[in-house]
Amino acid sequence: MEIFDFIGTKLADFLTYTGFANAEVGNWVMILVGAFFLWLAIKKDFEPLLLIPIGLGIILGNIPFKAVGLEIGLYEDNSVLNFFYSGVKNGWYPPLVFLGIGAMTDFSALIANPKLLLVGAAAQFGIFGAYMIALAMGFEPNQAAGIAIIGGADGPTAIFLSSKLSPNLMGAIAVCAYSYMALVPVIQPPLMRLLTTKKERLIRMKPAREVSQTEKIIFPIVGLLMTTFIVPSGLPLLGMLFFGNLLKESTKTTRLAKTAGSALNDTIVMLLGLTVGCSTQASEFLTWDTIKIFMLGALAFIIATASGVLFVKFFNLFLPKSKKINPLIGNAGVSAVPMAARISQNLGLEYDSKNYLLMHAMGPNVAGVIGSAVAAGVLLGFLS
Amino acid sequence: MMLHKRFLGILVGLVAVATAFGQGAFSFKINEVVVSNTNGLVDEYGERSGWIEVANTSWGTNNIRSCYLTTDRRALDKGLSVPERVKMMSLIPKGDPRTNLPAQQRIVFFADGQTNLGTLHTNFTLKEGEENFIALFDGNGKTLLDSVTVPPLAENQSYARLYDAETEEYVWRALNAEEVTPGAPNMGQGKVEDKVAEWKEKDPYGIAMSVIAMGVVFVALIALYVFFRLFGYVVVVLSKMTRVRAIRAIHDQASKAAVMAKQGMDTKGVDMKVYMAVIGMALHDYEEDVHDVESNVLTYHTDEHSEWNAKGYTMREWPE
Repeated sequence: MEIFDFIGTKLADFLTYTGFANAEVGNWVMILVGAFFLWLAIKKDFEPLLLIPIGLGIILGNIPFKAVGLEIGLYEDNSVLNFFYSGVKNGWYPPLVFLGIGAMTDFSALIANPKLLLVGAAAQFGIFGAYMIALAMGFEPNQAAGIAIIGGADGPTAIFLSSKLSPNLMGAIAVCAYSYMALVPVIQPPLMRLLTTKKERLIRMKPAREVSQTEKIIFPIVGLLMTTFIVPSGLPLLGMLFFGNLLKESTKTTRLAKTAGSALNDTIVMLLGLTVGCSTQASEFLTWDTIKIFMLGALAFIIATASGVLFVKFFNLFLPKSKKINPLIGNAGVSAVPMAARISQNLGLEYDSKNYLLMHAMGPNVAGVIGSAVAAGVLLGFLS
Repeated sequence: MMLHKRFLGILVGLVAVATAFGQGAFSFKINEVVVSNTNGLVDEYGERSGWIEVANTSWGTNNIRSCYLTTDRRALDKGLSVPERVKMMSLIPKGDPRTNLPAQQRIVFFADGQTNLGTLHTNFTLKEGEENFIALFDGNGKTLLDSVTVPPLAENQSYARLYDAETEEYVWRALNAEEVTPGAPNMGQGKVEDKVAEWKEKDPYGIAMSVIAMGVVFVALIALYVFFRLFGYVVVVLSKMTRVRAIRAIHDQASKAAVMAKQGMDTKGVDMKVYMAVIGMALHDYEEDVHDVESNVLTYHTDEHSEWNAKGYTMREWPE
């Protein structure tokens, strides 16, 4: 009989360890949110590369367990997830993602038509518009900066900056940034239609000139020197971005560029997405601050998109008729590469089936990556 | 080969310089000194003595082991050998993890003349009621990292390195006993926390931040724009010139081929009509003595090496 008592005790003890025994309402809510992200990614094809790791991460991070030092939770020292999370917490995943972006990005469109750099700069108004609103909502300047960077539409930059300036809000900021990046096809088109006339949407831009290999090699070197001399605090992101691009364009390190842009980048994106998702544990995530951050993130995206489009319209006032820019590429100034550029292309084709805007839109799109990294560097320099 | 050696020399030199600076010893600064300690910090044995606080001012971890502290001005004499100088100094021993200072952290050494008590004890004492010179030397015993002359201080007063927000420089000032902070930032050194507070106070609506940061973003991208606009212009012009040269070369070759096809291989592609016209013109110039006088001088031009521009053809033969 003693053995049955023993089994009974141990079984009862085991049951206290199960997720069912430890689950709270918040866990179930977050598991549903994770499932919704997976549905968006798999069924609706909304940026599956981002949303599947994040969605599953949300579910993983909200599996309840008894906190008795099992070293399994994301926030528990020595746990595997905690080890993976160190790349987010200490901000070394984002520069590695930037390395991959650099190795995959072709800056030709920007080199051929450098005035598109200004469109990328203008779209950064989204960051600072959101910064002002966040301050007005009562956030501290460092928290406001971490939230506002969502307007750059750049997940790695958002994680990098928030890990340095407002680590307590990083989970919400990261999920918000990636969610809105995935929702670019939903957020941007109505705004673009609202802010442009039919005549403007039909503007056909001249094909960009061919860019020589020498120019492509010089771009990352000069870009690195110019941007980091002005904003040294942007060095980790800008340095890795231009390093990756030089690996690609030098034509002598094709193997390294391929690795940086494929295997390494994929590995980091998987770990980043999963651990960012995991960081949304209900107790940390389901707060009023998270709701405010999602509202501010949406506003930041709207302001960024609008300022990019409106800046092109303003710029067109000074350009000769033959060199006018189609304002539909203004949205691409946010740095969601290449999603934002694809929106420009799709919307352009909707109004003129022979107006291919993709390559033109890639100019402001990659300029946006540089612009948001510079903006993050400035905020970091002032507030860290 | 010589060039390679020179390049290698420069590279080795650069690496050596980088390594020297990489050690970060210059980040160590004497930060606060108490000469007469009757009511303040106690050591591991519960004893009080004068103390010297050294700060790692860098944003990286640096180890102060093997460096030297001294109160002897003679150690500054460059005429002395290293062993002679080292005799006047107190060595900070190796092997104690406390000497490995994380970014912006401080370490306190007790100036009690009892090095047998441990790593944090020096072989000298500080003279109460007098001026004290204190120097910190690098591990080579030669390089002075920092020094300060502490004026006579009252009991429990400290002499501290403080950040002056007005001049944005560090200044030394005597602090009263209640302001002494062994192992912690001195007044005004907690700048990092102040940054956010300053922005909150001076820029509550974020306008200044937005203007400055957007300005910087635009400046950085405009700088890139200007460079690549100009560079692109140069590239386009150069590529046009290259294309024109290529077209001219093709055209010349085609003309020569046409001439050779028509007038035979012996002509080497030189059109006899042009040949005759140029000789005629040259003779005319010579006869009329108008060369270099008339503005409309007719010149036969070719980029190729030919009889017309070959140096050998323009020189007279040596007389027999």
